[in-house]
Amino acid sequence: MKLYQLVAKDALRRRRRLVYTALGVVVGVAVFISVLTISDAGENKIYKELDKYGANLMVTPAIEDVELNVGTLELGNLGVGENYIPQSTLPQIREITDTAIREYVGDSINVPEGDPIASIAPHLYTNTKIGEASVIVVGFDPNTEPAIKTWWDVRGEYPKQANEAVIGATASQVLKLNPGDTVLIKEEPFTIVGIINETGSNDDYQLFIPLATAQRIFSKDGLISAVDIRALCNGCPVEIIADEINANIPGVRAVAIKQIANNEMNLISKMNSFLMTLAGITLLIGAFGVVNTMMSSVHERVKDIGIMKAVGGSRGQILRMFLYEAFIIGVVGGFAGYLAGTLLSYVMGPLIFDGVSITYILDYLPAALGIAIGVAVVASVYPAFRASQIKVADSIRSL
Amino acid sequence: MLEVRNVSKVYGEKAAQVVALNNVNLSIQKGEFAAITGPSGSGKSTLLNVIGGLDRLTSGEIILEGMRIDNLSESKLVAIRRKKIAYVFQQYHLLPSLTALENVLLPLTFCGAKDDCCHRAMQMLEKVGLAQRAGHKPSQLSGGEQQRVAIARALVNNCSIILADEPTGNLDQKTGAGIIALFEQLNEDGYTIAVVTHSPDIARRARRIVAMEDGRIINETVQN
Repeated sequence: MKLYQLVAKDALRRRRRLVYTALGVVVGVAVFISVLTISDAGENKIYKELDKYGANLMVTPAIEDVELNVGTLELGNLGVGENYIPQSTLPQIREITDTAIREYVGDSINVPEGDPIASIAPHLYTNTKIGEASVIVVGFDPNTEPAIKTWWDVRGEYPKQANEAVIGATASQVLKLNPGDTVLIKEEPFTIVGIINETGSNDDYQLFIPLATAQRIFSKDGLISAVDIRALCNGCPVEIIADEINANIPGVRAVAIKQIANNEMNLISKMNSFLMTLAGITLLIGAFGVVNTMMSSVHERVKDIGIMKAVGGSRGQILRMFLYEAFIIGVVGGFAGYLAGTLLSYVMGPLIFDGVSITYILDYLPAALGIAIGVAVVASVYPAFRASQIKVADSIRSL
Repeated sequence: MLEVRNVSKVYGEKAAQVVALNNVNLSIQKGEFAAITGPSGSGKSTLLNVIGGLDRLTSGEIILEGMRIDNLSESKLVAIRRKKIAYVFQQYHLLPSLTALENVLLPLTFCGAKDDCCHRAMQMLEKVGLAQRAGHKPSQLSGGEQQRVAIARALVNNCSIILADEPTGNLDQKTGAGIIALFEQLNEDGYTIAVVTHSPDIARRARRIVAMEDGRIINETVQN
């Protein structure tokens, strides 16, 4: 029989006590794990929303606001500049974007040199009348658009011919247009080939036709209104790309949409550190609980310790026995804490982030065990030391 | 083999002082069966405790097999307890979570003995007539059986001397007689035994009877 077997047998006999001691650890670890799990789900949710947003860069015409003053009299602002971007800037935008991504991702990128990396979707917006209704007709590239608007669910298909169109769900209802119908835009007939199911965005009110056709019928040859860019990755340096586009291409303004997300992420990370501090305090309180129960466990077992010493147990062995027990408490507390924390995050997560879907993270189990064992062992050092100092004669006499 | 020289033990301080042992001298030979008797509070249990290194002396010397042991450090005392001195207590003092066999194994566990020592522990249980009860917990054993397990535990390390403190004090007369017979048997097998007892039965069978009162040895008789 080895010392640890002795401890294990004793622990099994005193299961209830063991569980009670482990509870202190469980609470702390549970809070820890649930904070980690919930914040992870929250971050995922924001990334998903970012994905939904599609583009992480937007290029629009540079319109400067110029204040008009006569003497001290303010006449308001005047927008100065073109409302369109020359389509000829697209290759330059692509080059800047792809070069930056290639540099950022490094060798791990598996796109051959010269092939496009980022998805770049040009748009030309024109407000026009269809029958009596005023509708925004969007010239778009049916090949690149799906890569950016991944959430588009098109009933029917994307335009393949110059005179085919897809239409947003609301516009389709208002204009009573269904796949197969023909619609006149600028006296030119277009066949509706698909309806975009409701997206909750402006897209619902718009009608999409191939870019080249839009440029021709609205006499905007070689012009586009805006470009949506989706870089390869969430972590891609979109701010740097935006800065470079702004510096190198005149007449356009690039904005990194990530900035918006960053603010939200910032909030999450601040909340995380607050919750982590809270979890740390809980863990500390739990540790004191362990010290307490271990101490009373030592008092309870004064007699047993005395017997063990009388039959040859050394101080070191008694110390080790209590630390082994702490280890068992840590293992029990770690597993239970991980389970409780995960369950807690399933309950609390949706209350903190609306509609977030929590998934358990098995990778946190080793961390939970590590923390629990660490806390239990550290908290047991003093009680174990006290146990090892018990005098045999005193313990035997006290019976 | 065991020499007790001018041993005193005082508990408490100043006005609250209690003199438990007052200048005690005693010598026990190898293979001897000695009984220490006397009324409650006469200091016989204290004597046994200081002999075994469970308690510290106030003054005097204890020499076991030619080595002074009363002034040893705690870690050296542990070695003495493991190899030289074994105890049998009035309350048996078995660990309740362990079976009879495991309780007997306990001293070997602390010695860091290998797994094959189970055999030896089993032999000791056979010696005290409890081989069939090896898998029972103390709560499933009678008082006499528990004391036999405690004796087996005392034997397992092959110690030089067995110190027993009122080993029959908690047992009825018949069971106590069995334990006494066991001690006699062990003594015949060559074990050195010192027993603290109230029981005239044990005292009668011992070779040397040491009578104590008020922390002093008042009479010492050797019988054949």
